[in-house]
Amino acid sequence: MADEYPNPFRSEQMSLVQLFVPTEVAHDTVAELGELGNVQFKDLNPSVNPFQRSFVGEIRRIDEMARRVRFFASQIEKEKDVVPIRPLYDSAPLITVGPRAAQTIDELDVTLAEHESRLMKMNDSYQTLSERAKELVEAWHVLRETAVFFDRAQGQQSNIRSSFDESSAPLLQHDEAQYSTNIQFDLEFVTGTIERSRIPIFERVLWRVLRGNLYMNHTDIVEPFVNPATGEETRKNVFIIFAHGDALLAKIRKVAESMGATLYPIDSNADKRSDSLREVTIRLEDIQNVLYNTGLNRRAELVKLGENLRSWQDVVRKEKMIYETLNLFNYDVRRKTLIAEAWVPTRDITNIQIALRHATEESGTNVPPILHELRTHKTPPTFIRTNKFTVGFQTIMDSYGTAKYQETNPGLFAITTFPFLFAVMFGDIGHGFIIFCGALYMILAERKLARLDLGEIMGQFFFGRYIILLMGLFSMYTGLMYNDIFSRSLHFWHSGWLFPESNSTSLTGVNTGHVYPFGLDPGWHGADNILVFTNSYKMKLSIVLGVTHMTFALCLQLPNHIKFKRPVDIYANFIPQMIFLQSIFGYLAICILYKWSIDWSKTTAEPPSLLNMLIAMFLTPTTIKPELRLYPGQGIVQPILLLLAVVCVPWLLITKPYIAWKEMKRIHHQGYSGLGEGPRDDPDDVLEAEEEGDGRAIVEDASEEHEQHDFGEVVIHQVIHTIEFCLGCISHTASYLRLWALSLAHAQLSEVLWTMTLEPVLGPTSLFGWVALILMGMFWFSATVFVLCIMEGLSAFLHALRLHWVEANSKHFEGGGHVFTPLTFADESAKE
Amino acid sequence: MEALFFNANTGFLEGIVRGYKAGILTQSQYANLTQCETLEDFRTQLSATDYGNFLANESLPISTSTIADKATEVLVEQFKYLRTNAVEPLRKFLDYITYGYMIDNVILLITGTLHERDTHELVKRCHPLGVFDSMPVLCVATNVEELYQSVLIETPIAPYFRECLTASDLDDLNIEIIRNTLYKAYLEDFNNFATTLGSPTSDVMHRILAFEADRRTINITINSFGTELSKESRAKLFPAIGRLFPEGNNQLAKADDIDQVRQICENVSEYRSFFSETPTGASSSADDFGAMAARLEDRFFSTEVELNKQAFLQQFQYGVFYSYMKLKEQEIRNLTWIAECIAQDAKDRIQDFIPIF
Repeated sequence: MADEYPNPFRSEQMSLVQLFVPTEVAHDTVAELGELGNVQFKDLNPSVNPFQRSFVGEIRRIDEMARRVRFFASQIEKEKDVVPIRPLYDSAPLITVGPRAAQTIDELDVTLAEHESRLMKMNDSYQTLSERAKELVEAWHVLRETAVFFDRAQGQQSNIRSSFDESSAPLLQHDEAQYSTNIQFDLEFVTGTIERSRIPIFERVLWRVLRGNLYMNHTDIVEPFVNPATGEETRKNVFIIFAHGDALLAKIRKVAESMGATLYPIDSNADKRSDSLREVTIRLEDIQNVLYNTGLNRRAELVKLGENLRSWQDVVRKEKMIYETLNLFNYDVRRKTLIAEAWVPTRDITNIQIALRHATEESGTNVPPILHELRTHKTPPTFIRTNKFTVGFQTIMDSYGTAKYQETNPGLFAITTFPFLFAVMFGDIGHGFIIFCGALYMILAERKLARLDLGEIMGQFFFGRYIILLMGLFSMYTGLMYNDIFSRSLHFWHSGWLFPESNSTSLTGVNTGHVYPFGLDPGWHGADNILVFTNSYKMKLSIVLGVTHMTFALCLQLPNHIKFKRPVDIYANFIPQMIFLQSIFGYLAICILYKWSIDWSKTTAEPPSLLNMLIAMFLTPTTIKPELRLYPGQGIVQPILLLLAVVCVPWLLITKPYIAWKEMKRIHHQGYSGLGEGPRDDPDDVLEAEEEGDGRAIVEDASEEHEQHDFGEVVIHQVIHTIEFCLGCISHTASYLRLWALSLAHAQLSEVLWTMTLEPVLGPTSLFGWVALILMGMFWFSATVFVLCIMEGLSAFLHALRLHWVEANSKHFEGGGHVFTPLTFADESAKE
Repeated sequence: MEALFFNANTGFLEGIVRGYKAGILTQSQYANLTQCETLEDFRTQLSATDYGNFLANESLPISTSTIADKATEVLVEQFKYLRTNAVEPLRKFLDYITYGYMIDNVILLITGTLHERDTHELVKRCHPLGVFDSMPVLCVATNVEELYQSVLIETPIAPYFRECLTASDLDDLNIEIIRNTLYKAYLEDFNNFATTLGSPTSDVMHRILAFEADRRTINITINSFGTELSKESRAKLFPAIGRLFPEGNNQLAKADDIDQVRQICENVSEYRSFFSETPTGASSSADDFGAMAARLEDRFFSTEVELNKQAFLQQFQYGVFYSYMKLKEQEIRNLTWIAECIAQDAKDRIQDFIPIF
């Protein structure tokens, strides 16, 4: 079996291998295997806590490094001017394998720590400086804004005074002059800044605390303050509160401070205020100079970090994966070598051997890791090799379930059946061409698009580009068959129908005896009974396609039964199922084809209704009503077929349980009893393992494989299986009618769109007509793309998916495999 | 009927909270945690649980308080998510949960100010769920009247304060009285609110709140022995709900020593075990008393956990939200305890946490 050439028909043949890796080369070996990406390591110490494993120390160190790298990344991200990050493929690779590996890592660790402390220091000083600058800016604002308050207050003062003046005795004039200058000294006040969001609450609290004995004024500071560490913006207000009395002022100060306000003492004298404003401005300038320089330094540092960031991230990620893998390994008794067990594709063992040798050479020692294959009873993981073309189809089938190891892979056949069933529902040359072009663009621009982050939705489309390509191609083919292009028809050849000129309201086509060579005759287009005709045609077609598809899916059982050496299943499952399906629905399909092949206009009998014929076959199998007669001898054939189908049910139901029961009986008769019933003597197993030494897998998950073939289970399983299959045949055949329904809906929708938008404005005669044509044309085209191609396409896609998952897979798919998840560095690196 | 429309408004959040609940650490995870040698091990071990990488960006060495803070942060994030997505009356219910934290914060701030601690430090120590805008101003107040008038009047817990406006000056005893009065009012109010929510919620919540009330009553009684608190004022602090109410409360108000408390509690079968291992005879010495109080506290906690776990057995009710918060709080206490034990190398007491699942 090992020489069997691997193909996508079955999943890859896997081997369980054991690796003996000398401790010195362990790291390099895993690194090499990770680059290779086709080895799935097994956890050999499942019972050991994560922190008790051998390489926890290294992982911690790497974690710490990762934290530092993350810190750099976040700092770079926060920087407002974009710091260039050199992409990974541009950076010089950091060699972390070979004899100097440890040193490289040590150096990297030190470098990272240095950079971190330097950056932290810079951040700190930058922060303190900007804190100071912020304070100065606030003070400056406070001084400036309060000056406005004071000015206004003064202006109002004089207004009040002057108005008072006129009505009062001139004797008071002296007092007034004195008063207006003194007024500022009389009132005491608190000034400061506070976050804008807190203003209302601040006001309310103050009002309550001081029982309304205050005058508060505040104004916005226009520019927001940016916190350099977090990049958050806070907006603040300048406030000034006038109140009277020391106790109140102290209270105000306390409240303000507890609310997070910053207080700036200022003088009520205007001259002193302008002095301090000048002083603040000068200091602010100085500090901003320093700040600018610090910022430049910090930026330079960040730019330097940006150059290496990607390669550091890469190294850290890989190292972490390597050590996590090493933690899965087991030490041998002398703790000189590590023992690993892994699943590998049998075909790749040579590659792996080469990689191992390479790793040894790289690391400069001459003790190579030893690899040898183990025999095991455990089910290997399912690994189906894909390329960029098949991966989409395989993913579609894998999302239904992971195939059993070496089971027939439905993904292979989905490559043709999937686009075909889609196209039956989506048949239109024009729409097919649009999606074909879309997919073609994505394929041609593949390299460029793969680099970009397309987002979730576009990414999905991009991932399925080859599926879409085939869907487009097949749709064009079925469109040709339906003779539909944007709901119009094409005249390639002469139509088989002639419409003679006449004055009556309805035209009747005359058959010329000519047969349209390919697809639907365009003469049908626009005829009154086109729906009657296409409905009958598409409905029957979908039944024929459905029965074919199901029969094919059923046949896929056969290779499985042969491969897994289950002859019983062939004649207890496959054959009765096949007979059942064919005797009812296969017969129906043949009747459809037969009915098509007869020219009913030349026979005396009316064409029978096939649906009624099928119903009558069940209700009155022996008598054939004359209006349901399709061919002579029908009265004999139908009862026989029905009988066959009826016989198949007990055949399917009983055979397998009976054989299982006989087998069990035979074994009992020979004096054996079930192994699983008694306690399994594990000690023996262990002893044996020790004696045999290294030739055995170290961990055998005893619970995993030993499925008990209980008789009761077999019976129940078979009963369910029989019911499911027999009922399923009926419902699944009916389910294929969705091919007709969706195709009809699609054709009708596109026709409605055509007649509602484009048809009335075709053949423009005036300028207005041209404008209308252009506008309507645009509308028609966008509706075609978005509604008919994308939305309808998605719906047809969904139905095609269902037909594969439910109708076809239920016939043969066994599933229950586990996916092969190799250690690989390739993943995710694109994302980061 | 409640089941008919429950999911329209609350189904999503109930699903979320039950999902959160599934992330509560289990016995085996605790077993792993207790085996840790260092706090780094602890972190590695926690990263395998639902907490994930919540400590990944902390620079070494990590302290136990960071762990507790970060864990609380996770919980607060979850709670905020629930609260933003909630509609009435669940929204109000969730608000009620925060009132308890508000009371704690208020008391913390008053006490801190009394002992002249730094306000900002105090604010940092407040539970993030109980924060309200004007909270920092609490430090300004010097007596209860002012406290109420200037700050608390616009908070939702203002009505609870009306009871304690009589107490004039702020000193340690008064603050303690305020706390208990507040809690009494809060529990009673919450209980009433739960009643308005109708059957399954009120059933579950009454059970939990009744225990909460009884626990407070017993604690107040025991703690008031040997203090200057008079028996009448003690009686005033007892919540008027709970299994012990009313006759148990009346008797407790008159109790003089721990033995009497035990006798009163034995009237309620579930509470009988609380005092079961107390050494016989009232001649308990001082440190014995302390040990018993600690044991009692532990039993209270485990009963609380038990009750909160039971809340999850019933569907279509809001009790799960409250219970989740309480269970998670207990979990954070457990984590802090284990972390503390690891940090101080007190491995012999590491098992003294209260496992949840």
